[in-house]
Formats: sequence, structure tokens, C-alpha cells
Amino acid sequence: MAALEARALTKLYHGRRGTVRALDQVDLDIPKGELFAFLGRNGAGKTTFIKVAATLLLPTSGEVRLFGEDVVAHPEAVRPLIALVPQEGRPFFHMTPREHVYEYLRVRGASAESAGARTSEVITAMGLTPFENEPSYRLSGGVQQRTLVAMILATEAPFLFLDEPTLGMDPFGRRQVWEVIRRAVRKGSTVLLTTHYLDEAEQLAQELAVIDSGKVLYRGAPEALKSTVKREVRLQFSGGFTAKELAEYGQVIQDRNRLVLLTMRSRVRELTDRALERGGEVTVGPVTLEEAFLELVGRGIEEEQ
Amino acid sequence: MSVRQQAYAALRICYFNGIMPLWRSPLLIGAVFLTPFSFLFFLYVIAPRALFPFGVVGGVLFTALFTGNGMLNDAAYLRLERQLQQVFVASPVRPLAFLIGMALSELAFALPAMVLFLGILLWVHPFSALGLAALVGVVLLTWLMACTLGFFVSTLFQQLREIWPIGTLIFSSLSVLPPVFYPATAIPAPYQWVAFLAPSTFAAQLADRVVGLGGGITTSVPAFNGPLFDLLGLAALTLLLASAATYFSRWRES
Repeated sequence: MAALEARALTKLYHGRRGTVRALDQVDLDIPKGELFAFLGRNGAGKTTFIKVAATLLLPTSGEVRLFGEDVVAHPEAVRPLIALVPQEGRPFFHMTPREHVYEYLRVRGASAESAGARTSEVITAMGLTPFENEPSYRLSGGVQQRTLVAMILATEAPFLFLDEPTLGMDPFGRRQVWEVIRRAVRKGSTVLLTTHYLDEAEQLAQELAVIDSGKVLYRGAPEALKSTVKREVRLQFSGGFTAKELAEYGQVIQDRNRLVLLTMRSRVRELTDRALERGGEVTVGPVTLEEAFLELVGRGIEEEQ
Repeated sequence: MSVRQQAYAALRICYFNGIMPLWRSPLLIGAVFLTPFSFLFFLYVIAPRALFPFGVVGGVLFTALFTGNGMLNDAAYLRLERQLQQVFVASPVRPLAFLIGMALSELAFALPAMVLFLGILLWVHPFSALGLAALVGVVLLTWLMACTLGFFVSTLFQQLREIWPIGTLIFSSLSVLPPVFYPATAIPAPYQWVAFLAPSTFAAQLADRVVGLGGGITTSVPAFNGPLFDLLGLAALTLLLASAATYFSRWRES
């Protein structure tokens, strides 16, 4: 049985500038015990999907079931099974990380003993021990975010919604959070994660879906998404070439002050030699999930236009 | 979660949202005291001494009514600024338990000021234990009415800055203009009915009557002239607002 099943899920927002189709006939199954990532540009519909599935928002039409329970008709049956890290959430300013985790567990009905043990476990696992007794107004943004994530992961709820959980964290903090998320999945939780960090999705997700303009463009394994890119390698140039020059060799992506070229293996030697002759720098590597995402979403945008 | 667990969740919310911040920043109590005491001081200076007990009762009710303003701001802050209401929606905590927990935390802030006003009232106008119990009942109904109103209104807005003036507007209109600090009979007779447009009038008349101050509006309909009418009015409005807060509030947005 799928942990989450969405059928023809549609959400329309009516505003002064007309109607926005945030979700457009979305069909999606998330298998039980899996970590599933939801990728998409800003405003693609990821958070709307999470809000509907987590009983925060009513859909315009369609159906969502969580562990077989109808999310729209029976939210009370669904809510004990879920926990949510909201996008850009922030903890209570006066409470410490330890208090956040403990109090939230107690509010959800955990016994004092169980809440105490789980709080200590998650505080340690998330690297929050040095800050555990500091009120959150004294903590950095990244540590505040870790506090919020700790609060939710400590619930060990059967279904965890994590909406950009590592936003604003340093690389060490992110890795600690990843480890605790992996542990939650090993213990049997199903996780739906949205993120703009594609390396995070690649590291964590067994499956992912790419959504754009409310439609699911892709659903499958991260590796399979990478294999949809028709080019074999990724060359990153700092100087040496202009975007126009590189365009004849493959797909060019402007990445800040660097140019990324997706091309065939046979063109690598020629391009690296020329770049070095011109005093540029070049690195060669495999195509990443980011390029696959950009190509897929870019294609979607072109088709739309 | 069982009803007992929901009740426990409400107490827990009161603990960390009300008692904990109060314990860590006791100066917050000062903010609750300041406005009603200023009004009372003003009355003490300019009004006849006989009206002073009305002002003290007004202080108790003002403090109870302004828990609604606290609720309005707190609920909006948690929902819009901290996104924390989402964390509670996506959990076994029922809307009513969250609402009661938040309302209790507002009561925790107001309690020291209420106790002080009650002490002053007993000093300047001694009354029976039964009267005290009745007054406490009126204060609790007023608190419940104000908090449910505050929570309901908070869900109607999407911007925190829109909410700040709305709270002041609503709760000042309920606590300063109507006969809360003064007897309703001070309003010219032809316009006394206008006072009943404010739910706080029922609370104030009832409070004044149960402590033996009197001063209620007398109409040509005898049934409207007793404390029972005030009690029914206050209870009906509280029930109406509590129902609106639990059923129409955007616990789940549409």
C-alpha cells in the first residue's frame, strides 16, 4: 500500500490577477517507508501539495489519501499520523531547543519519560547539545531551523512532511539533519521532502518527482532522471570561452560567473585543450541532478511557451 | 488523542506560551497593568468618589477583555510570522485544545492585574463571597468571549501589520467606550440601548450587579432589568463567538 496517494489533485487560487493553477490534476503515489523528494522552481506547487496533504489546505478538487485515510474528509484521522516542518518556520523566541522538542512531544501526547528520552536522543543526533539550553532568540538562523526540524523528527510520526528543512543551514548542520532523516526512514517513517538543494535530494531520496506549474513532469529515481540528459559529461569553464562559442558543442548553462556545458565525451579533449590555451580553467565531471533538473524544467517551460 | 489528553495539551500550551515567557520576562506584566491603572487613576482624580468602585470593576473587565487583543496578536504572530500554527494543525491537537491553550496563556498574563484589581475592589467596596464567586464567573466568561473573538479575527488576515490596528480598534471599542469603567446609567436615557451593541456592556452590568453596585440600565420591560438578562446576553454572545472561532476559523485554509 502506498503511504500517500493523490489522484487528480487540483488547487486553484483566485486572486485579483486571475486564477492561478497551483496544482493541476496531480497523480502521485509515495510508497510506505520511502524518502521521496519533491523538486521544482519557486511557485511550482510543492508547498501547496504539502499543505493539502498535511491537512492545512483544502484542494479545489481531487483526492488525497494518507495510509488509506481521506485527507479532505477525515483530517482528524490523518493528523495523529503526520508531522510537518513548515517552510520558513521559526521557533518560539523564548524557548530553548530542548524545551521545543520536549514540549511538542508532550503536547502530542507522549509520556514524560518517552518525551525526555526522545528529546535527548534527537538533540544529540542533530548536534544541538551546545545550544540546548539557550533561548532561541540567541541562536543563529541555522540553529533555529535545526531546532524546528528536531522538534518534528523527534515525533517519529509515520509520515513526515519536510518543506525545505535545511534552508539556511551550514554544510555540517545539513549533514547532521540528513543523518537524522535517514534514521527516521530506517525506523519506518515515510518522508516527503521538498528542497532546492539538488545534492540533498540526490543524497537522500530513493525517488523524486519534479513539478512545474502544478504538473508533475517527472517521477522516478534520481539516477534515472540524470540518464534522461542526452549529454554524457559536464564541463565547467571559468574563462576561456563565451557562451556563444560553447553553444555549438551542447547545452550551455550560465552559473554565476561560470559556464557549464553539457556535451558528449568525444568533445572533452578538444574543449579542455582550447580552454587551457586561452588561459581559462576547466573542470570535467559527470552530469549532476541539477543539470537534469534544469534541462527537464527548461524543456517544460519551452513547451509551455 | 482522548479528551483528557487534549485537555492536557491545552495546559501544556498555556505553560510554554504563557507561563514560561512571563516567568522569564516579568516586566511583561507591567504592560498589562499600565492601561487600566491609568484609566482608574484618571477616574480617581476627576470623578466623584462614589464612581470609583465602578472604575475598579472596569479595570478587572478591561484586563479580561484585553486578553482578546493578546490572543489576536499572538495567534496571528504564530500563524503568520513563525508558521507555528501549521505545526499544531499537522498534529493530533484539536483546534479547540489549541484555542483553549492559547486563551489560558493570555489569562496567565492577565491574572496578576486581575487579582490586584479584585483586591482593591474588596478594599474600597467590600462584598460577599458569593458576589466574589459570581464576579469571577463573569470575568471568566468575558475572557472566553474576548479570546474567541481575538482568535477568530486573527484568522481573517494574512498580514501582521494589518492586525495590529484592528486589535486596538476592536478591543478599545469594547472596553473604553461602553459602560465598563462607568455605570450605564451615566449615558443619557434615549441612547442607553446603544450600549447593548457592545457585548462588554452585558459583562459590565452583570459584574456591577453581582458585587452590589447596581447601576444597570432600567427599561420598560421588567425581564430586561435583572442580572439574568445580562447573564443570558453574555453567555449567548460568548457561545456565538466561541462557535464562530472553532467552526469558521481557518484551521484549514480553503
